[in-house]
Amino acid sequence: MNHPAVLSSRVRLARNYEDLPFDAHRPGVAETCVSRTANALALSGEDRGFALLTMASLGEDRRDALVESRMISRELAASPDSAVLLQEDDRLSVMMGEEDHLRIQAITDGLSLDEAAARCFAVEDALSRHVRFAFDDQLGYLTACPTDTGTGMRASLLMHLPMLAHHKQMGSVSSIAAKVGLNARGYYGEGNEALGDIYQISNQITLGRTEAEVIATVTALGEQLSETEAELRRNALAERRTATEDKIFRAWGILMNARLLPLKEFYSLWSALRLGAVLGLVPVSPESLDSLPVEVQDAHLRAYNEKPLTGEDLDAARAARVQSVIRAAKR
Amino acid sequence: MLCEECNNREARFAVTMNVNGESVVRHLCPECMRAMNANMRGGNIAGVLSAILSAITAGEGMRRPEMREKEPAEQLPDITCQRCGTTYVQFRKSGRLGCPGCYEAFREQLRPMLQQVSGGAQHAGRRPLETLEAQRTRSRQEELTRLMQQAVALEDFETAALLRDQIHALAEEGGADA
Ligand SMILES: [Zn+2]
Ligand SMILES: [Zn+2]
Repeated sequence: MNHPAVLSSRVRLARNYEDLPFDAHRPGVAETCVSRTANALALSGEDRGFALLTMASLGEDRRDALVESRMISRELAASPDSAVLLQEDDRLSVMMGEEDHLRIQAITDGLSLDEAAARCFAVEDALSRHVRFAFDDQLGYLTACPTDTGTGMRASLLMHLPMLAHHKQMGSVSSIAAKVGLNARGYYGEGNEALGDIYQISNQITLGRTEAEVIATVTALGEQLSETEAELRRNALAERRTATEDKIFRAWGILMNARLLPLKEFYSLWSALRLGAVLGLVPVSPESLDSLPVEVQDAHLRAYNEKPLTGEDLDAARAARVQSVIRAAKR
Repeated sequence: MLCEECNNREARFAVTMNVNGESVVRHLCPECMRAMNANMRGGNIAGVLSAILSAITAGEGMRRPEMREKEPAEQLPDITCQRCGTTYVQFRKSGRLGCPGCYEAFREQLRPMLQQVSGGAQHAGRRPLETLEAQRTRSRQEELTRLMQQAVALEDFETAALLRDQIHALAEEGGADA
């Protein structure tokens, strides 16, 4: 079954070295994590395709762009002694010197948590042949924050849920999700905001369940939300076709003609346009729009235009970028 | 007290859950407890979530579970991890442990906290370099044991006996392989 509401899957494993303090800001800790991990990966012969990037060696724009595409965390970007082993095309990264010594992360398209997990475990196994991670029979993998101990795994889905958001049901969804040990919250924006109606679904619980159980639970919630969303979409077309089309066609008109596009305005128009694409009301596929929320972030626009854009110039570059992506995607 | 899920049968279980960072206690009857456990384990959320659609059509939101009152300030024990020098008081302030050794130093204090977050405090997932097959057998064994304990708690002795036989069979199978 196809799930157009699922934008991407992500799995992240927290691992720590047995003999080091957790705090990567202590002198020498981050450096030891980096050299030990890079050596172990090289020894295992699995280092092909990985680039080793230290935060101190990267410019601010490059670091920000990696944060925008979720390849590294904001915390890692802010620690000069930290580094990442990165396979950018495959969206696979090993962050070193984060809150935990290692955060092994894989991002995959659509609903594919099993694949993302398998890629993380392959890296972990390669490393485990040469280093020892802190592990306790009862508590599993030991982590800096005790609420991550156990599998040390976060499995998450990024989902576009405009209909559930329109019906103001995401509050209910999060409280229901919490009942089964999951977390559902807006991905972009401050506090309770969910700009672009993009939500992240992830597991809260890491102890007492296997990785497979956790992945099955997150996947089941993703499928269920996707089906609920589809049902609400069908209702919208059946019962409020004109109003639904009006919102979508207006979004298309503004996105294709605006000269200045502030980020917040982009999110709400993008959400309406992508809904239109899923409903087949506009001549582009939903997948062709999936990378836009990342492509129009500030550091990505600066990299794309090779200019240190600010203020209104960013809004202009954003409008131009959106229009070129949509034109290229047009059937 | 009546079960908070069905408001029908007598509640016999108090389940602590973490809802948006707050601990919430729900009182459930054996039937609803069993349903919730099945949902959590099998990843079968469909049953729970079908409530969303009906709530939308009926035009009413879901009931939010009641929050438990905050516990009074407790006296924190004066313990220090010998390996890294982190004190238990520091950990409670920051939420971050100092080193893997802190888990040993604060084991007694961490146990109830982990129990509350996860509902059970025994690791069930991967071990370093464990083969996939070994893990499958082990997690199946643990799963059956958990189900058996649950069946006993629910006084369903027939199911418990069946599960015990399955656990023995699995153990013999594993032994024959080795
Ligand atoms: Zn009940
Ligand atoms: Zn310590």
